[in-house]
Amino acid sequence: MANASSGRDIRLDLFRGLALWFIFLDHIPTNVMSWLTVRNYGFSDATEIFVFISGYTAVIAYSRMMQRDGWIRASSRIYRRVWQLYVAHILLFVAFSAQVAWVSIARDTPALIEEMELLGFGDNPYQAILEAALLRFRPVNLDVLPLYIVLLAAFPFVLPAVVRWPLGVIAVSVGLYAATCHFNWNLAAYPDGKVWFFNPMAWQVVFHVGAACAVLGPRLAWLDRFRWPLTALAVVYLLFALFIALSWQYNPLQRQVPMWINKLLYPIDKTNIDILRFTHFLAIAWLVRVAIPQSASILKWAIWGPLRRCGEQSLLIFCLGTFLALSGQVTVSHFEDSIVSQVVVSITGILIMCLAAYIAAWFKDGGPSSSAGIPRAAGALT
Amino acid sequence: MRVCLHGLVILAALVAFGSPVTVNAQSMAHCRAKAELLDLGAPLPIARKSVAERKYLKILALGSSSTAGYGVSNPAFAYPTQLWRGLEKALPGVDIDLVNRGMGGQDIEEMAARMRVEMQSNLPSLVIWQTGTNAAIRHMPLDTFESTLRAGIRLGKSLGADFVLMNLQYVPAVVAAQDKEAYEQAMARVAKELDAGLFRRYDIMRSWYDDGMPYAQFVQLDGLHLNDFGQKCIGQLLTKSILRALTGP
Repeated sequence: MANASSGRDIRLDLFRGLALWFIFLDHIPTNVMSWLTVRNYGFSDATEIFVFISGYTAVIAYSRMMQRDGWIRASSRIYRRVWQLYVAHILLFVAFSAQVAWVSIARDTPALIEEMELLGFGDNPYQAILEAALLRFRPVNLDVLPLYIVLLAAFPFVLPAVVRWPLGVIAVSVGLYAATCHFNWNLAAYPDGKVWFFNPMAWQVVFHVGAACAVLGPRLAWLDRFRWPLTALAVVYLLFALFIALSWQYNPLQRQVPMWINKLLYPIDKTNIDILRFTHFLAIAWLVRVAIPQSASILKWAIWGPLRRCGEQSLLIFCLGTFLALSGQVTVSHFEDSIVSQVVVSITGILIMCLAAYIAAWFKDGGPSSSAGIPRAAGALT
Repeated sequence: MRVCLHGLVILAALVAFGSPVTVNAQSMAHCRAKAELLDLGAPLPIARKSVAERKYLKILALGSSSTAGYGVSNPAFAYPTQLWRGLEKALPGVDIDLVNRGMGGQDIEEMAARMRVEMQSNLPSLVIWQTGTNAAIRHMPLDTFESTLRAGIRLGKSLGADFVLMNLQYVPAVVAAQDKEAYEQAMARVAKELDAGLFRRYDIMRSWYDDGMPYAQFVQLDGLHLNDFGQKCIGQLLTKSILRALTGP
């Protein structure tokens, strides 16, 4: 728990902010700016970063509360948060649908049909609304929050275990992950036959390993006796993943990859988070830990302000980013996928996200009414 | 906000100088296939009759994740919707009805098992049956695959519909599978034997790759599923094939 008391780890907000920017950029289907995100350089993408940090910060936010006020109090706070996430998801669903409807009405008929498909309301809009309320129906790109809701709803039962036996929780979590992949378990979605795009029973492994790392905190220093071998391993693995990722872009490289390696690699499943994706993320996380310690002075540079602010207001910025990605998609296709429109849309979107994050922080600091400024609560982490 | 702006200028500079040589142009100009690859190899008499006499065509798209449109950024990009839109446009005055019954991850036995229910609740004149990929990557016994396929088509035909089989996709996960060509050949064999059409997706996509199109252009990053471009293009080429069979000599 030492980690929770030794001050706020700026890296969490910073990298979560970065993940949110990446998610926004990657959610615009044709976007040259997505070359700036991790997904084109290896197996994992921003989702792993977001889910891992969410697990990590959940422990920081609720473990001390549980020690101080007891399990019931902490659990009710977690469920209050789950409720906020649910409300945010439903609001996002409505805003998303309204935007699609607005675009459809403003446009010609074929586009209208396309946009209605995007909503997936299909033959029975009433049922679709019911299914949306049950989290079973989610239009494109609205898959991450339901995953987070399920993971956090289970967290009151994980929390007492993870603070006592973090390694035990990792073991159980990896066990559930392996069983899920082996038996092909998933939760049902709407319409019939669909399943959750992010399978909670598989993706929980990222969340719970993140939570366990937060509990282990300084004890992770134990790993430092293998610092160099681990670092070398991570670098080699990341270079290998980079080579494979580039082979998707250049056929001559693709032909260099021996068939037995291809056999081992593919498919690199996203729904059940393929082990290649997870280990790729862990390799990145290890290198970040080695290269940027918590006390690194580079973290205090003012230039990271916007990223940190976005990371602190993660729920708001996530929802806004999803909404803006749809606007971006519509805008870019309006300009026939021109590169300029992609760059302008990306930069404008990130500017709006930053602006919103600063406004939200200003409100939290006391907003327009307070001149003294109330110090921000550390509990606002998740 | 000033700092934020600075950050974005740096970002923009990175994009300008750091972006790799190929930009995935999702432009449909790259969507092509040789004419002989688009020949279904069988007439579609029932569908043809329905179009001519009733000005109506009901199509059932039966399949796994390709049909369901797994991972595309807009469900409208999945090949069944592209087919529906293409036919509506090309056959003015004909009412096209497309029922999408794609279920991600299903193998041929699961699809054959629901063939009767799906057909009886929809009564199509044309069934597009997309299959083979899951069998190849899960190493289903080849004779089971072939006999299930044969039984499924026989059943479907007895209920009064033409069939078009869509075979495997040419993607890293399939290319790495041991006997992918055996499944492809089994589908060709059964199609010929039972007078069903065959949409040669495998050969079409292979010709893209052999012509120098990188996987990233048409495959998702999981190395298995078609991306937006792949789905749209397959949908457009399938439309061409079916139109040729419906309106040709």
